[in-house]
Amino acid sequence: MSSQTGLRVPLGRFGWCAAVLAAAWLCPSPTQSVEGAVPPKGDHGAATMDYQLQVLATLVPKADVSQAPKGFDPVVWAAFVPKDNEPNDKRVALGRKLYFETRLSRDGTVSCATCHDVTRGFTDQIKVSEGVKDQHGQRNAPTVLNAALLQVVFLDGRSPNLDHQATQPIINPVEMGMADGAAAVKAIAADAEYQKAFQEAYGRPVNYEDIGRAIGAFERTLVFIDSPFRRFLEGDTKAISAEARAGWEIFNGKARCVTCHQMNLSNPLGTDNRFHNVGVSARHQDFESLAVRALKAFKEDPSEKKLDELALSTPMSELGRFMVTKNRSDIGAFRTLMLLNVGISPPYMHDGSLPTLWDVMDHYNKGGEANPFLDGGMEPLALSEREIDQMVAFLFSLTDVRFAAENERQFAAQKAAAAKSRAFRDENMASRRKLAFEDRSEGAKGSGK
Amino acid sequence: MSSRHISVETRYIEDRQQVFGSLKNLDRRSFLKVSAAALAAAAANGLVPPAAFMPVSVAHGAPAAKEAPAFRFAYISDSHLYAKDLNDRFARALMRAVDDVNNLDPQPDFVFYGGDLAQLGQSHELDLGAQILKNLKAPLKIMVGEHDWYLDMGAKWRSLFGEPTYSWDHKGVHFVVLMSVVEKDFWTARGLTPMQRMQTVAGLDNGVQSSFMVGTEQRTWLEKDLAKLPNNAPLIVFSHSPLYKLYKNWNFWTDDADEVQAILKRFDRVVVIHGHTHQLLTNRIGNIHFHGLLSTAWPWPYAPQGMPELTIQMSRPDPFNPNDGCGDGEVHVHADGLVDKIYNLWNRNPITVAKGYTESGGKKCVPPKPNRPGY
Amino acid sequence: MSPSAKVLAVAVTCAIVAGLVFGCAEEGTRPSAAQTPDAIVADHMAQWKARNPDRANPWVEEEKQRHKIQPSADNADVLKGEQAAGQTYGNYTQRDVLVWARETEKLVVEGSRIFHNAGRLGGTVGVSCDMCHPDAANTHPETYPKFQPQMGRVALLRDMINWCIQHPVRGKALAPDSPEMRALEAYIVAQRKGEKLDYGKH
Repeated sequence: MSSQTGLRVPLGRFGWCAAVLAAAWLCPSPTQSVEGAVPPKGDHGAATMDYQLQVLATLVPKADVSQAPKGFDPVVWAAFVPKDNEPNDKRVALGRKLYFETRLSRDGTVSCATCHDVTRGFTDQIKVSEGVKDQHGQRNAPTVLNAALLQVVFLDGRSPNLDHQATQPIINPVEMGMADGAAAVKAIAADAEYQKAFQEAYGRPVNYEDIGRAIGAFERTLVFIDSPFRRFLEGDTKAISAEARAGWEIFNGKARCVTCHQMNLSNPLGTDNRFHNVGVSARHQDFESLAVRALKAFKEDPSEKKLDELALSTPMSELGRFMVTKNRSDIGAFRTLMLLNVGISPPYMHDGSLPTLWDVMDHYNKGGEANPFLDGGMEPLALSEREIDQMVAFLFSLTDVRFAAENERQFAAQKAAAAKSRAFRDENMASRRKLAFEDRSEGAKGSGK
Repeated sequence: MSSRHISVETRYIEDRQQVFGSLKNLDRRSFLKVSAAALAAAAANGLVPPAAFMPVSVAHGAPAAKEAPAFRFAYISDSHLYAKDLNDRFARALMRAVDDVNNLDPQPDFVFYGGDLAQLGQSHELDLGAQILKNLKAPLKIMVGEHDWYLDMGAKWRSLFGEPTYSWDHKGVHFVVLMSVVEKDFWTARGLTPMQRMQTVAGLDNGVQSSFMVGTEQRTWLEKDLAKLPNNAPLIVFSHSPLYKLYKNWNFWTDDADEVQAILKRFDRVVVIHGHTHQLLTNRIGNIHFHGLLSTAWPWPYAPQGMPELTIQMSRPDPFNPNDGCGDGEVHVHADGLVDKIYNLWNRNPITVAKGYTESGGKKCVPPKPNRPGY
Repeated sequence: MSPSAKVLAVAVTCAIVAGLVFGCAEEGTRPSAAQTPDAIVADHMAQWKARNPDRANPWVEEEKQRHKIQPSADNADVLKGEQAAGQTYGNYTQRDVLVWARETEKLVVEGSRIFHNAGRLGGTVGVSCDMCHPDAANTHPETYPKFQPQMGRVALLRDMINWCIQHPVRGKALAPDSPEMRALEAYIVAQRKGEKLDYGKH
C-alpha cells in the first residue's frame, strides 16, 4: 500500500490506513460509490445487490411517498399514479425488495438491478443488456430514473404502464428467463417474509401482477429531476456553464431538438412520448422483409409474451413500434428517449449503437440515416464543432446533482472516446453538400424514359 | 478536420444495395394487415389503453380483396425544385419519392409525374428534376405545370420532355395528358420580364395572373383524340389544374372546365387525375371522377370555399414535421377504368380513396376522418 | 483668355441668359406650361420617382391588385350617435375614419408584401410564407396564445412567425418589435377578420 505521492512519509500503520482512506475519499473516484471504494461486482457485471442497496439509501431521501416528488407538479403527478396502486411505504418497501430479488430469475443471477444498476445510472452502461446464461438481447436498457414520468413504457410502447412493464423482463427468455408468471410467483411464494409483505401491501397472497405493481411503486420513488439545468431555469444563472447555456439556445433553435425532446415544467423529461424513426435502425437492415417476417410470426403466436420475445431477441426488434401497432407509419420508430440524466446512461439509442453524446450529435447533425420511413423532422443541421460541444455541455447539465461525480466521470470518458473516434460523423451530409436520399435514389438507376 | 471523416453508414449503403438487389421485396399492402388475434388478446387483459395498442388497418378504406386491379402505376408530383445548393429540402424530397417508387415490388407499370417539377422554370431546376427522375426504374410519363412553363413559355420543357399534350394506350385504357395551365397574356401590357411573369404565376394567391384554361386548340385536339373511342372505353385524363372550378383565387380552377367536361360527357366513366392542389382531394361531377395528387414539396391548405362534398380532408399537416402532408402514391386501375387512389403520406398511414367510394357517391369504402381538421 | 475670346464668352453667356429668360417668349408674352411652378414641381417629382421606384409607385394599390387583402373595419358606427355633438372628445368625422382605415391598411399591405417575399423575410432558401399559406390561409392567429410543446412554452403569433422564419424559411428570427414583424402580424391577423378568438386551440 504505497502512498499516493510516492514520498517516504514517516507514518505509523494506523496513520497509513487513515491517510489512504482519506486520500481515496478525497480524490475523484472512478465510479459512483459511497465511501470512495470501487463497487464490488456481482453477476453480469452489475454491482452486488447489497452494495446497490447501500448506495440507494444515500440517493433517495426520506419522503412521503404518497405525495408528488419535490419539484414536480402535483396535478400532473396524480395522472401518473395508477388508481389500483396508490403508493405507500409498504408497497415501496416490497417493490424495493423485489427490484433486487435475483430469485426471480431462472438461474438466480439476474434481478432488475442487474441491468438497471444503481451504480451505473440505473442502467448498465453497455450496448445491449446481458441476462440469464449470459444471453444478450437487441435493445439497450433505458434508465429507470424518472421512468415513472413516462407516458409510454418500453421503447416500442408495448407496455401501457410501469406496473405492467415490470412483469415483462421476468418472463423474457434472454433477460430473467422465467417460464411464466406462475414460475416467478413460485420462486418467492414460499418465503414467509414475502407472504407477509404482499399481504400488508396489497391484501393479497403473492401474485404476479402485484409483483409488477410493487416494483412500479418503488420505481415511482426514483424521481431525479434536480439537475443544474433545472436550477438554472429556476433562476440560478450560474448553475450551468456558458457553454451549456449556448447549447440550450441551440437545442431550442437551430437544432430543433425541442420538437421531439420536449422539456417544460409539466413534462421535464425531454421526451414527447411519441415514436419516431430517426434512422438508427436503418443502419443495417432491410425493413420490408423484416416486417413480413414479423407478421408471419404473429400469425402463429399472437400473444403479448411472443411480442416481448420477438422485440428483444430477433432482428425484428429493429421494427420498433410497428411490432405493436402494425402501422406502416411506425416502421422503425422508437420512443423518443428521455434526456434527463442522459449523461450517465450511455451508450445511446435503442440499440446502444452510439457510444457517446458526440456520436449522438453527429447522427442528428447529418439528418439521421435515410430510409423510406424516416421522420420528416430529421434534417441536416449544419452544426459546427463548437455548437456540438455546446450541445453536449448542455446535455450533461441535465443530470441530477446526486450523480454529479458519475456525470463528471462520464463526461471525461466520453470526451476522450470522442476525441479518438467519431464514426458517425459525416460533414458532407451535415452541411447539405450531399443529400440524404441521393445515394439511395441513384443506387437503383433504371432505364426511365 | 472535415472531409476525412466518412460515416460508417457509407459502407453500409453498399451492403444494403446488395441486400435490396438480392432480396425479393414484397408488396407493401399485402403485409400490412391487422393481426386480429393479437388485438383481442391484448384487449382481454384489460391492460390496453387506447394510446399504447392501436392496430390500424393501414390502407384505410381499402376495397374488398376480390376487386383486384388490372394494373398499377405510381405517381410523384409537384416537387418545385430549386437548385440543390439554394434549397436542398425539395431536392431531397423528390429523391425520397424516387426511392419510394423504386422500392415498390412488384414495380408499377409506369410512373406518372404530375407537373411543377421546377419552382421557377429555370433551366438548371428542370435539369436537376430530369436528372433525379432518370433514376426511376419504371418508365416515366410526365406532365407540365405552370411553374415549369412561364419563364420561357415551355422552351426548356419541350427540349427535355417533348410536347406537353399527348396520349397513349396501356392495357386497354386510354390515357390523355393535357396542358391545362394555359393563361391569357397578362404580362405584355404590364411590361413584365420573363422572370417577373414567372414569379407572378408562381404565387398561388397572386391575382395579377389569369385563370388557367385548356384553350380551344387543345379542346379541339382532345375531341379528335377521343373520337374513335367507344362510350364505354376506360379513359384517364391527366391535367395539372383540377378540370373543374374549385377556388378561383388560387387557380384551383379551369376557366373552360364546362367545355372540357362536355367533351368527356359521353363516356360512361372518366377519371381525371390532377396535380397543383398538393392535398387529398376527391370529387365527382356526373360521370367524371376527380382525384388530386400529393406534392413532395409542401402541402396546400384547403380552399375556404368551393370544396367538393366528396373530399374527406387529410389531417392538417404538422408544421414541425416538414414532410407531413407530403408524399407520393399509387393508382390502381380497374378494368372498367375507375381507380383506387392511394395517397402514400410520409410519416402517416396511407389513405386509399377506393373506386367504390366515388362510385357510390361517398357511401361505401369511406376513408377515415381527419383528427386535425383544417381551419 | 484673349480679348476676343472674352467678348465671345460674354456674348454667349448673354445669349444663353437671354434665351433662358426670353426664349419661350417667342411664342408670346406669357410663360409656357413647361415653366409654371406646377410643371417644375412635376419635373422634380418625376426625377425623384425615377430614383426611388419602390417608394414612388402606388405600392398599396399595386399590392392590393396582386393579393386579396381583407379590408379593415369601416368604423361607420362612430359617426352615429348624439352624445358627441359639439364636443371634442368622442366626436369623429368622416376624415378621421378615412385616415384610420388608410393607415391601418398600409401596415397590413406592407405585411402582405413581406409575407410574399422570401428576400424581405431574410430567407435563404427561396421560401416565402405564401408557399404554405396562400392569402395567409391556415395561419389561424385567433388560436394564439397556445402552449406549443415543440417550442417548450406558450407561443404568441409572433413566436410562431419566428419559428417559421427560422426553419422552413431559413432566415434569422425577427425582433418582436421590428417593423417587419409588426407588419407581418398585422397582415396575418387582418386576414382572419371576423373569426372568433379561440386561444389555446390546436
